[in-house]
Amino acid sequence: MSELEQLTEAIRKGDRKQAGQLTETLLDAETDLEQVLGAMVTAMDDIGAKFQRNEIFVPEMLIAARAMSEAMNLLEPRLIAAGIKPKYTAVIGTVQGDLHDIGKNLVAMMWKGAGFKVVDLGTNVTPAKFVEAAREHTPHVIGLSALLTTTMPAMKSIITALREAGLNGSKVVIGGAPITQSYADEIGADAYASDAGSAVDVVRQLVAA
Amino acid sequence: MSRENLLEALAGRVLLCDGAMGTQLIAAGLEVGVCGEGWNLDHADCVEAIHRRYLDAGCDMVTTNTFQATRTALAMHGLDDQVAPISQAAAELARRAAGDAAWVLGDVGPFGGFLEPMGDVTIDQLHDIFTEQIAALDAGGVDAVIVETMSDPAESATAVRAAKTLANRPVIATFAFQKAGDRMLTMMGTDPAAALAAVLDAGADIVGANCGTGLDLDDYVRLAEQLVDAAGSAPVILQANAGSPVQRDGQTHFPATPNDMARAVRRFRDAGVRLIGGCCGTTPEHLAAMRTALM
Repeated sequence: MSELEQLTEAIRKGDRKQAGQLTETLLDAETDLEQVLGAMVTAMDDIGAKFQRNEIFVPEMLIAARAMSEAMNLLEPRLIAAGIKPKYTAVIGTVQGDLHDIGKNLVAMMWKGAGFKVVDLGTNVTPAKFVEAAREHTPHVIGLSALLTTTMPAMKSIITALREAGLNGSKVVIGGAPITQSYADEIGADAYASDAGSAVDVVRQLVAA
Repeated sequence: MSRENLLEALAGRVLLCDGAMGTQLIAAGLEVGVCGEGWNLDHADCVEAIHRRYLDAGCDMVTTNTFQATRTALAMHGLDDQVAPISQAAAELARRAAGDAAWVLGDVGPFGGFLEPMGDVTIDQLHDIFTEQIAALDAGGVDAVIVETMSDPAESATAVRAAKTLANRPVIATFAFQKAGDRMLTMMGTDPAAALAAVLDAGADIVGANCGTGLDLDDYVRLAEQLVDAAGSAPVILQANAGSPVQRDGQTHFPATPNDMARAVRRFRDAGVRLIGGCCGTTPEHLAAMRTALM
């Protein structure tokens, strides 16, 4: 197994220490940076696919994401120094009134694992803050998360605020336990993602469209 | 006190818990994003009135308004220094409503993060977090502790151990399940058998499920059967949502009517569930219908 393949495997297994060591070895050997990134993306794609098939669950996904972060923290400065920027930017947040962050964090990790720049606005994010972030970062996608049935109506307010501000360049994807495709259609979201694995497929389709 | 021992009572008959607190607080005017547990201090009358409505509906016990009252959960509202006052006040006001006749269950919910290696919190740290809250519930006079809506069996077992260490009281442990293909699993991928085994090993006296995602009443019946199989000789608790919520004209709507819940409750009982209550979207009206159905 090549060292790149070993890095993919270490992230898949969630072996943080090994993922870090392999990344250092690869960087010291002046491996092509895009290839190192590619090895990480391959691992997280595999994690996302297995998650969607109910073969792995939140614990395995979290552990893999932590291993990926370990590797990414080493790679990122080198990418910046080499002038390699993420092709796509995503803004994400849990909507106003909702303090739940597990789902939002999982999606943010998976988007990072897919090579996106991710701007995480945290929880309890107002429509005004989403508008501000959309202006500042001109993201390709904006992700809205809600766990509570009582807070999901805030998604509609955010989409309205973005449209009223003329920020139509960013595609809005929504998700969370009570969210459905029909709700996404009803409030005019561009897409719905049923879980953190499919959230990657969904935004890849959105940015390719 | 005239209350029987909860476990002895449960051996003799099916008992009825209360229904939802959160949706009742919202109906009473709790605004989105405001800490509902804070109402134990500044809207105590409203919380007590909710307990009384459940007791009037025929519930055998009420559950303290302390679902998110660990220091980690309260920190989201900047109230992490209020663990003891909030939980003790909650227990005291529930006791005022319950008097000597009804039981008071001290509610403990998820701490809001992840244990190692998924997160940064150790078992010892988590034990302390739960102990702090449970000590305050104990001081306020609860009859039992209910560790509920859990996904991670290790987290739930830690809360159960904290409750067992502290108080010589029955401990109830429930998990939230969702469908994963044709299985019922928690968010962490744990099935009913593994979840219940973890909390029984930690000393839980009554085990089962509450809440859940995307489950209709038929799903809860199926879940009840799995729980009874997994619980062995331990009594099983089930607190179903009033069906799986849908949005209608911008409003959240829980589809199961009191009559639907009354029919379901007989099926839960026939499946072997001993302690039955309601979760999200259930109201005193639902619980009154469930009481009648159990008579």
